Amino acid sequence: MIGIARKRSIAFFIALCACLILVSILFYVGWVLLGWHRGILLFLGALLLVFIIAGIVLNTAFLVREIRRNEQHDAFINAVTHELKTPVASIRLYVETLQARSLDETKRKEFYNVILSDSDRLLGTIEQILRSGRVRSSSRKPNFAPMNLGEAVGECVARARILHHVAPESLEYEPGPQLPILGDNDEVKAAVSNLVDNAIKYSGTDMHVQVSAARIDGRFAEVRVKDRGPGIAPVELKRIFKRFYRIHGPIAMRVKGTGLGLYIVRSVAKRHGGRAWAESAGSGHGSTFVIQFPIAPATQQ
Amino acid sequence: MTRILVVEDELHLAEGLRFNLEAEGYQVDVVDSGEAAVDLLIEKARKYDIVVLDVMLPGKSGFDVVAEMRQAGQFVPVLILTARGHSDDVLTGFASGADDYLTKPFELTILIARIQGLLRRREWLQRTRPVEVRSQSFTFGEQSVYFDLLELHVRDQIFPLTVMEMNVLKYLIQHENKPVSRKAMLEEVWGLHEDTDTRAIDNFMVRLRRYIEPDPTKPQHLLTVRGVGYRFVAFPEKLQ
Repeated sequence: MIGIARKRSIAFFIALCACLILVSILFYVGWVLLGWHRGILLFLGALLLVFIIAGIVLNTAFLVREIRRNEQHDAFINAVTHELKTPVASIRLYVETLQARSLDETKRKEFYNVILSDSDRLLGTIEQILRSGRVRSSSRKPNFAPMNLGEAVGECVARARILHHVAPESLEYEPGPQLPILGDNDEVKAAVSNLVDNAIKYSGTDMHVQVSAARIDGRFAEVRVKDRGPGIAPVELKRIFKRFYRIHGPIAMRVKGTGLGLYIVRSVAKRHGGRAWAESAGSGHGSTFVIQFPIAPATQQ
Repeated sequence: MTRILVVEDELHLAEGLRFNLEAEGYQVDVVDSGEAAVDLLIEKARKYDIVVLDVMLPGKSGFDVVAEMRQAGQFVPVLILTARGHSDDVLTGFASGADDYLTKPFELTILIARIQGLLRRREWLQRTRPVEVRSQSFTFGEQSVYFDLLELHVRDQIFPLTVMEMNVLKYLIQHENKPVSRKAMLEEVWGLHEDTDTRAIDNFMVRLRRYIEPDPTKPQHLLTVRGVGYRFVAFPEKLQ
């Protein structure tokens, strides 16, 4: 999973390290052995010293970042293992049950539904993983076409209501005016669905989610997903959009996930020339997720 | 009636397990968190014949649950059922005090067979207890190990051991006075052949020492052999 950018940054830091060693040797030979203690050479020596110190600091920062990344990657592998194996285990268990035991018609239907919903869950995880790779690669140009954002959001909400068995009053959405944007229908819907799914997943039992779509100062179409869930601490508001990042703590243990959802949201927003962010008054005060897309030029309408 | 506690937070799996185990004629309770399991098994001291335990649970992990149970003297057989199949995880599971370990996805028939195996072992133990058949035992100093009973008697005290603890102890006793490497123990006792972190064994030793050593900080019977592993000495005074 190492990208080209990452390989390049590793090469850069190895080169930096080599430079530092070279400068150190130069510094030692010049300053200590030949004695440049005068005039312009004094200045040059001081400059070299500053360069060495800055380089060491940079290299350490890089090392720490790599270690953190590794840890997150491990956590991701664990989460994905769980997310992939659990539905397979469930499907297997129910198929074997159907095979081995004689069951009445209602029980059989119930079990078929469980198998279907588990295979949907499995597919969802697989799509999430594939999509996170796709929105990353800049080589593949997104498939932009005119679309109505309001309508796409409506479809996402309808899908979420069925998937999570949620009543319309717990997941509110008022269809608004036309919001023409230029976008990749699949990606936009995946991003909005991720936000809605998150709001439902993290809300717990007392759920109330409001979804709205509106035009903001004529230039942007904006989707807001507001929940009354556990909220987010201010320091985490930016980090949660990082790839693989999940907030540590009991909530993350309760709600299973891969740490890819919000990363996809942000990547999709960026690819469309928009942006995505989170707002929260802190832990326990609910949170609001916002994604903006530029309105399509008037000629397109 | 045989009572089984299933600790599983994935609703579908939990209900599937309940249905099948009930169809096998067991009485099944399901809880969805480590805290709830600890509450039932330790706080309320509810009697179960076997516990099927998931690892990745909300809050307390399955490993923590089984460790806490053993610490608190709850010795019901525990079968860990988890998606985590790395050998480090398996070792951690046994080191925390589990009796069996099965990875998801699993075969229903195998799961049931393993549950029956654990139940049978328990039943055999109960059957042999009143007759006090203690043919399979080993005594050293003030300690006696009853292999079949999974018990260690020290003077008047009785320590119940897990199956794995007993297997480790048995292996060490069989190789009395000889150094035994951690790797050999992994292969012979656990049947693992991969290059794994062998330090999980050290946790077993810490616990065994707590049982059999008069002073666990100055072991006389379970000696560490540096760079190799361990050595069991039944009669330290004879060695000198």
